[in-house]
Amino acid sequence: MESQKIKSLEKTAAKCRRKVVRMIEASGAGHMGGALSCMDIVTALYFHFMNIDPKNPKMPERDRFILSAGHKCMAQYAALAEKGFFPEEILDTYGSLHSKIPGHPDMHKLPGVEANTGALGHGLSIATGMALGLKQNNMGSKVYVVMGDGELPEGSNWEAAAAAAHYGLDNLVVFVDNNGLQISGKTAEVMNMDPIGERFRAFGWETAAIDGNNMEEIVKTIEYLNTKKGRPKAIIAHTIKGKGISFAEDNYKYHYWKPNKDELEKAINELDAVIKEETK
Amino acid sequence: MSKELRDPRKTFGSAVFEAAKTNEDIVVLSADSGGSSGFGEFKSTYPDRYFEFGIMEQGVVGVASGLATTGKIPVFCAIAPFVTSRPYEMFRNDIGYMRQNVKIVGRNGGISYSDLGATHHSLEDFAIIRMIPDVVILSPQDPSEIENAVKAMLDYNGPVYMRIGNQSIPELFESKPFEIGKGNLIRDGQDVAIISTGSLTANVLDAAKVLEDKGYNPMVIGMPTINPIDEELIEYAARKTGKIVTVEEHYIPGGLGSIVSEVCSKTFPVHIKMLGVPKTYATSGPYNEILEFYGLDAKGIVNSVVDFINK
Repeated sequence: MESQKIKSLEKTAAKCRRKVVRMIEASGAGHMGGALSCMDIVTALYFHFMNIDPKNPKMPERDRFILSAGHKCMAQYAALAEKGFFPEEILDTYGSLHSKIPGHPDMHKLPGVEANTGALGHGLSIATGMALGLKQNNMGSKVYVVMGDGELPEGSNWEAAAAAAHYGLDNLVVFVDNNGLQISGKTAEVMNMDPIGERFRAFGWETAAIDGNNMEEIVKTIEYLNTKKGRPKAIIAHTIKGKGISFAEDNYKYHYWKPNKDELEKAINELDAVIKEETK
Repeated sequence: MSKELRDPRKTFGSAVFEAAKTNEDIVVLSADSGGSSGFGEFKSTYPDRYFEFGIMEQGVVGVASGLATTGKIPVFCAIAPFVTSRPYEMFRNDIGYMRQNVKIVGRNGGISYSDLGATHHSLEDFAIIRMIPDVVILSPQDPSEIENAVKAMLDYNGPVYMRIGNQSIPELFESKPFEIGKGNLIRDGQDVAIISTGSLTANVLDAAKVLEDKGYNPMVIGMPTINPIDEELIEYAARKTGKIVTVEEHYIPGGLGSIVSEVCSKTFPVHIKMLGVPKTYATSGPYNEILEFYGLDAKGIVNSVVDFINK
């Protein structure tokens, strides 16, 4: 993987983060913290790994992306817009009546969305069914999932974790966006699910632990795990909530952000600076 | 028609097996529940289309949704409360909201798991599942209707909930293609309309004979589709008889009785007597004795109808 490609993906991630801020600007508020923590992972998937076609969003052999933590949907909307699945102007409808990009994704409103997530603890079961069906159809397609660490206490996740391992779904790749924070505070204090990787391993999964805001690590880890056969894969991605906006980083108060004018201006300036810097 | 009683679960499982012979997309999901759902032959004939998950109902409903996105037609059958109230949010979001072509079948519905008690009874499934938009709800009344309803369910592209019992039941009608959303006018009459669903229609037919002997002329309607309901037929019954009795193995509020009264209130309001189980944790014991206790045997239905007509 040449460094130029990594740089290009980093730039794309910054552009997507800028789109997240654009949506928040349009609506006045949104689940920003988690959208930004997983933005690098989502970027790597949409712009490097996934076999998808914005002109043919339902092609049967496509790879699937399931955002189990549906409240991080601005990350997915940003990637889909950047990828050309829908016109960018739709981003400015975030929070408005009948918007195609509601506060949790709706597959019937927006091309490229594969599941109606939002209620936590659903995505992994749906993804498991997809991976099982695709394997049966000999499609060779992969199913990528982004989960939040805060949703891990939902028991349904562990039902799916057992089933995915039982059926040897090596076409299922799960990222746990482990930003360590949730709405009530530190995830380890709210309900400690550490060690997350060991839990998945005990269920029969292949696992890896990475810096989930480091593009090179993300890319190399997916490449490596995609060569492994016979087990589903879980990547415990240590991330920073609010990543990319200095004052919001690692601060649970920005899980849901209702910015004032100064904050918004500062966020926009910071991201624009990164985009310009990397364009040079 | 044969007088022989048939097990609704075996009838159901065999009907799915028959359909699966010509439709390779049909797959069966089991939460340690396939054997008792009549899927023995399906499992041995199509092992690669039979997925066992163990006791995992919430997960299985989500998995069914994901499988449906790949073109499969998943059929998931288990004890009714475990596929309705337990995974309700998965049913609502992953099947309903995502509008997936998944067939969820609650067996041992109503109080048919009689002696196993309230944990295994399902007396609210119509009420809660009909609150999920766009889910078809079927409640066939005799073995042939189960078979035909299974065919219709598998041909229909969208989410379906079907409820069957576990007590062996008699044939009531000539076998005919099942039309989703259509009720059957089994007997026309003018003194009262009795509208029922599921296997209790057998008791209603027995009751109707007694009522005839007593000199009454009851209309009898079977409603094997709970949602969408046959509004036209209900309105016909209301206009012609002015008095409706509903009979169901369900809580009195929320099910067929409520649906009929909703329809009448907007078309032709009439007095309605709802027979069912009061909203309580139902008692346990032999099935027929529980039905008798709640007045859902033929005699109980006759008594309620006569009282209602003469009120």
